[in-house]
Amino acid sequence: MALAPWLRDLLTPFIGPPGEPWDPHWPAFYRAYVNAGGHDYPADRELHEIPVVVLDAETTGLDIHDDRILSLGGLRVLGNSIQLGEKFEEYLPTPEGRTVPDTIRIHGIIPNSHRYTFTNEAQLMEDLLAYVGNAIIVGHHIGFDVAMINAALARQGAGPLRNRVFDTVELAKRLRPAGYWTPKETYSLDALARRHRIPLSDRHTALGDCYITAVLWLKLLTRFGTKKGRYLRVGDL
Amino acid sequence: MPNQVTYRVYDFLKEIAPFSYLDREALLRVAERVEVRYQPPDTVVFRPGEPPRDRFFVVKEGTVELYSEDVDGNELLVERCGEQDIFGIRPLLAEDNYVFLARAVEESLLYAINSEGFREIIPNYPRVLEYLVTSMAGSSRYAVEYRAARRQEMAAAAPEPDLMSLHTLHRSRDPVVCLRTDTIIDAARRMTEHNVGSIVIVDDDFRPSGIITDRDLRRCVATGAVSRKLPVTTIMSAPVLCLAQQATVADVQIKMIRTGKHHLVQTEDGTDRTRVTGVISEHDLLLLQGNNPAVIIQEIGVATTASYLRELRDRSERLLGGFLEKEVAIGYITAVMTQINDEIIRKCIKMSLARMQQDGRGNPPALFDWLTLGSQGRGEQLLRTDQDNALIFEDVPEARYPATKDYFLQLAEYITEYLNEVGFDYCDGDMMASNPKWCLSASRWKEQFSSWMHDNTAESMLHTSIFFDYRGVWGDGSLPDKLTDHIFLEMERRSTRFQASLAMAALQNPSPLTFFRNFVVERSGEHKDQFDLKARAMRPLTDAARVLILQAGQGNINNTLKRYEALATIEPQNARLYEEAAKAYELLIRLRAELGLKRNDSGRFVRPGELTQVQRLLLRNSFNPVGEIQKLLELRFQLNFMR
Repeated sequence: MALAPWLRDLLTPFIGPPGEPWDPHWPAFYRAYVNAGGHDYPADRELHEIPVVVLDAETTGLDIHDDRILSLGGLRVLGNSIQLGEKFEEYLPTPEGRTVPDTIRIHGIIPNSHRYTFTNEAQLMEDLLAYVGNAIIVGHHIGFDVAMINAALARQGAGPLRNRVFDTVELAKRLRPAGYWTPKETYSLDALARRHRIPLSDRHTALGDCYITAVLWLKLLTRFGTKKGRYLRVGDL
Repeated sequence: MPNQVTYRVYDFLKEIAPFSYLDREALLRVAERVEVRYQPPDTVVFRPGEPPRDRFFVVKEGTVELYSEDVDGNELLVERCGEQDIFGIRPLLAEDNYVFLARAVEESLLYAINSEGFREIIPNYPRVLEYLVTSMAGSSRYAVEYRAARRQEMAAAAPEPDLMSLHTLHRSRDPVVCLRTDTIIDAARRMTEHNVGSIVIVDDDFRPSGIITDRDLRRCVATGAVSRKLPVTTIMSAPVLCLAQQATVADVQIKMIRTGKHHLVQTEDGTDRTRVTGVISEHDLLLLQGNNPAVIIQEIGVATTASYLRELRDRSERLLGGFLEKEVAIGYITAVMTQINDEIIRKCIKMSLARMQQDGRGNPPALFDWLTLGSQGRGEQLLRTDQDNALIFEDVPEARYPATKDYFLQLAEYITEYLNEVGFDYCDGDMMASNPKWCLSASRWKEQFSSWMHDNTAESMLHTSIFFDYRGVWGDGSLPDKLTDHIFLEMERRSTRFQASLAMAALQNPSPLTFFRNFVVERSGEHKDQFDLKARAMRPLTDAARVLILQAGQGNINNTLKRYEALATIEPQNARLYEEAAKAYELLIRLRAELGLKRNDSGRFVRPGELTQVQRLLLRNSFNPVGEIQKLLELRFQLNFMR
């Protein structure tokens, strides 16, 4: 039965937008996120018109179930600009008994250091969803970051991210497929940054990686667009 | 909390003026709001006529070119902005649309600085304001950036420049005033009485309500448009621009530049609601410098020894320094310095003539003139360089020729000696009137010029480039004029080949930039790794101006800037290029004079590293017209067939 529009609007906070899965037990921030909607874009929308958020998570390890997020960085990209003013940067304290020297070496976050202001997972997720909104999420090997975020969301009793997600690795691969000439490891952020001449000075800090990824994203989009001879659309990726 | 990316932006900006004037806190706030723009190759950042954005740009990586469009819609390259260069800053200051087209030449990253946030902090940083105001005041980008570069240097050289100024300005002269009810003629009379160029109109409480300057009087009275019996209020400019008593020279300069007014009124609190305490004119500002060309020229007139002349020349060099610092127009500076040099030369000639008398050789046996050559001949010499001169005397019967020449050779010997004592070194190449080859009668000079014009060897061309820019400083001008007439007659007879080889000589100096846009430096010798400002940048411009003006038949114009000015009117289709060339030449003169003053030499050679980043860029930009002019010569004289 189709509800009258006015009734539909009135009921949305309780039953969610039409056609979307909905669970009234979700935390309020997640319901607001789903309600705001607009996460899907038609295939012919040009990418440069859509807000993009470049995300990068630093974690205690690579196990989606066992490991935890240590920090989340995000930068907003609109058109051909990276907006440094609207950054996202939050840190979580390292969970008890989880001081893995290797990861510390990679991302340089010293457990519970006083240099950072820490938040908790619930707040982090709430802030993240408010920041991301309906933007397209872009990242390098972003699948892993999204899985980590979804795991965290699940722990908060919320559903998963609904945004469109694009991986710069995939984009790089399509631009220059792996093969005899391109061994697999050349899709690492370092290798790609080097290939596209992006300085690597702030590697392995939450925002530093975001910045490099954002520049990479813009450069890859342009290369791809030049190949196509037009602006890239959502459906192209 | 600032993050790593902000710090990265901060680190980049802190090296660049005007950001370098901000303190860390403020600059971090600016950096935090930066937007990073990625420009693929050949994409446009903004177009002329577009409304201002709320951001201006700094090139982080890559290159952006600024173009202006001429009436036909052709794009003309105005400037190439490389890493660390700022562009699109106009909208920050004026609600102006963009004037240029900005386009990325290669893949570029730009930092787009938020004007809003930046504008807020400006009031707290006078130096930033000064930088921006002077940027705005310039009419061309050359001038603008040039000034910016100067400021940076001055800031580095004198950490407390304003203290000095503060001290001197307190002596601004007592105001000459009249009441609102006085007539124009009263005001004019009082101005004449006190010998001042402006008068302040005050109300009963001695508060300024307007000002009348010489210019106002000229405009309104001399034209007869306004009756002289009307009250002053009818022609006064109001409101007046006021300054507080504690204002510094820098404040005054900024205010004058920004408003275009030449007179400012000092009041007790800097507004027009308190009593007038003084008036400062642009002229006062120049006089404050302590030196004044009129005084120096007067002193040269009464000097009796070469050593005093030398002292006066030193003083004029300080004057020059002051002019350069105040960014007085190059045309004016060169005119003043040329006049001083001419005066010194004339004094040396007088002293030498007296010495000839003492030697018992009596008066000159014929009319003669002293020809200054090269840059002094063109009236472009700012610093003491080698002397290049020649002597021309009236034709005398063959029998008297040897004795006459002998007299003038001895005279020239004395003159060059005096000049040397004043500080004009002897010429290495012996291009001096004391050389028998360059002390000739009018007819022999004509022959000499004819032979140079017919015989197109490299040596002739070198002589041409030095001797063709002659200028008489002693006689009535009739002898040099005869020579000029002769040259043009000769030119009509066999013009093309001579002009072509002159043009060719102008192309002799290879491009000043290497393929990678670095400066071409000398490979060996005393000036190894230095850039030859004169040979590589200035000479191509003077050579080109000379051949073009000769071709146009305007031999009486003897100054590179004036030549380009004239060329711009003669060939309107190339006016822009000639104007650019003139501007570039101005810039080079200025740069060379500054380097020379700083190092106490001719300023000819420069180590690229000793220039500031902006100076380097400016210098590089000045090469664009050099290249374009050379192309024009090549086409016009069809030189591609000849080499």
